[in-house]
Amino acid sequence: MSMRGPALLVLLLTISGGALAADPSSPNAVERGEYLFNAAGCLGCHTDEKGGGKPLAGGRPLATPFGTFYPPNITPDPDHGIGRWSDADFIRALREGKGREGEPLYPAFPYTSYTRMTDRDLSDLKAYLFTREAVPTPNRPHELSPPFSWRFTLAGWQWLYLTEVGPRPDDPSKPPDWNRGRYLVEAVAHCGECHTPRTTLGGLDRDRYLAGNPKGPDGDKVPNITPHPKVGIGSWSPGDIALLLEIGLLPDGDVAGGAMAEVVRNSTSKLTAEDRAAIVAYLKSIPPLE
Amino acid sequence: MDPRVINALAAASVAGVLFLGFGGVVGTAIGADPVALVKQREQTMKTMGGGLGAVAKFVKGEGATVADVRSAAAAITEMVAKDPHTVFPQGTAIGVSDSEAKPELWQNWPKAVEYWNGLKPAAARLTEAANGGDRTQIAQAMQVMSKACSNCHEDFRQKKP
Ligand code: HEC
Ligand code: HEC
Ligand code: HEC
Repeated sequence: MSMRGPALLVLLLTISGGALAADPSSPNAVERGEYLFNAAGCLGCHTDEKGGGKPLAGGRPLATPFGTFYPPNITPDPDHGIGRWSDADFIRALREGKGREGEPLYPAFPYTSYTRMTDRDLSDLKAYLFTREAVPTPNRPHELSPPFSWRFTLAGWQWLYLTEVGPRPDDPSKPPDWNRGRYLVEAVAHCGECHTPRTTLGGLDRDRYLAGNPKGPDGDKVPNITPHPKVGIGSWSPGDIALLLEIGLLPDGDVAGGAMAEVVRNSTSKLTAEDRAAIVAYLKSIPPLE
Repeated sequence: MDPRVINALAAASVAGVLFLGFGGVVGTAIGADPVALVKQREQTMKTMGGGLGAVAKFVKGEGATVADVRSAAAAITEMVAKDPHTVFPQGTAIGVSDSEAKPELWQNWPKAVEYWNGLKPAAARLTEAANGGDRTQIAQAMQVMSKACSNCHEDFRQKKP
């Protein structure tokens, strides 16, 4: 509520006339889950859209410096998907990065961010996923070279980089929109997974939070989105940032491409205008980094 | 009217016209200087970007007027009428000058042409909205246009930092 005034008009402008796919304040778990599913961008990674794969049946190759990952089938299929997973299994996967047998999962699955999602949000998300079509597509093994192909080494990685597990309490000294914005940026929409650079071991470099990543997914160069006036987005108005998140338009009329185009299409364009404004309020408040 | 908007637009379209003029000559006379062809494409893109930026300024209430939106729509319409072969000639992928065009654009040429042609209905809609002058209509046409641009940037452009 810190942004009442003229800026609000621009920020809350919803171009498409509010035809949202789902409602975050719905009392219905499946509807809330659908909203979170969009915000969290699960679809893009777990669907081989270009290869004509069915939704969530897995398989889109993710090229990383460590090799190629093929995200698994997360449809409710009992044999090839996650149909037999309990709520506890599901929450543990997103919060602790562990598979159904307790094996550590690769951080190409951004659980280092999802770990901060609340129990209610995670179980609503599962409720929605379990309403999707079950598809019996078998998983494709990742193509990694040693030592990255040795799953057991991941336990050490998690010990190093999954240091804060679980949701963070709201900061009572900050307004509710700021806290909501932080939750969306850090946890659900996982902006840092692309916009924060990584250490040589592939962990997020927290000292450079959102300061840009020259080696992003698929070779993309991911820009600095801290409020630094020169190298970040400090000169962007709140309306500029909100418009980028809604339709992908940059202040100079250029249009975001690469991985961000997908983020806008699948995720940030499907948020409520209030949630986009909350993201803006939070982004404007973080330390500007060079 | 915001003089900055007009200046930016004017500069972009004058440069565009100059480049177009010379581009035609360059294309035939000198054969194909890949560096010039990249520059020419970047100028085409900048003109469209300048136009869309002016439309956004109007939508955000940052000084641009309906007249600015109309000239922007005209500038964009002129650009999208170009033949995709001239905008994306072979041999102008990443590596040539400061090109940001991924080689995949030529490997998936029918898709690239589909994206390029997708700009035409979007430009027509923007022109119609600009003539009507209604802010909501213009905002919606801007969104459609931005989507049409982003399709291609998502698949076929890799930005330099
Ligand atoms: C950036 C890409 C990416 C995104 C976004 C993503 N995932 Fe994944 N996910 C992966 C990869 C890669 C794996 C495989 C990890 C491994 O093999 O260790 C995975 C694994 C999983 C697993 C474990 C499945 C199994 O069979 O072990 C679940 C469950 C899962 N993801 C659910 C989700 C949900 C729900 C979302 C959205 C909230 C999501 N994922 C978003 C890439 C992604
Ligand atoms: C999957 C990776 C990925 C995720 C997740 C992601 N981004 Fe991006 N973002 C990018 C890339 C890549 C670009 C550069 C786009 C281009 O090449 O045109 C970008 C561009 C941007 C820009 C434009 C900055 C500029 O200077 O041009 C902003 C602002 C932005 N992202 C904000 C966000 C926010 C906020 C989130 C979370 C809600 C987010 N991004 C999540 C990859 C990502
Ligand atoms: C068919 C593909 C395609 C479409 C459609 C497309 N672009 Fe581009 N755009 C590109 C490519 C490729 C580049 C990189 C050009 C280069 O560096 O040679 C680019 C670059 C740009 C640039 C940066 C130019 C520079 O070098 O400064 C802007 C601005 C831009 N596009 C705006 C737009 C706008 C606005 C639209 C929609 C009206 C649009 N583009 C539609 C492919 C496309």
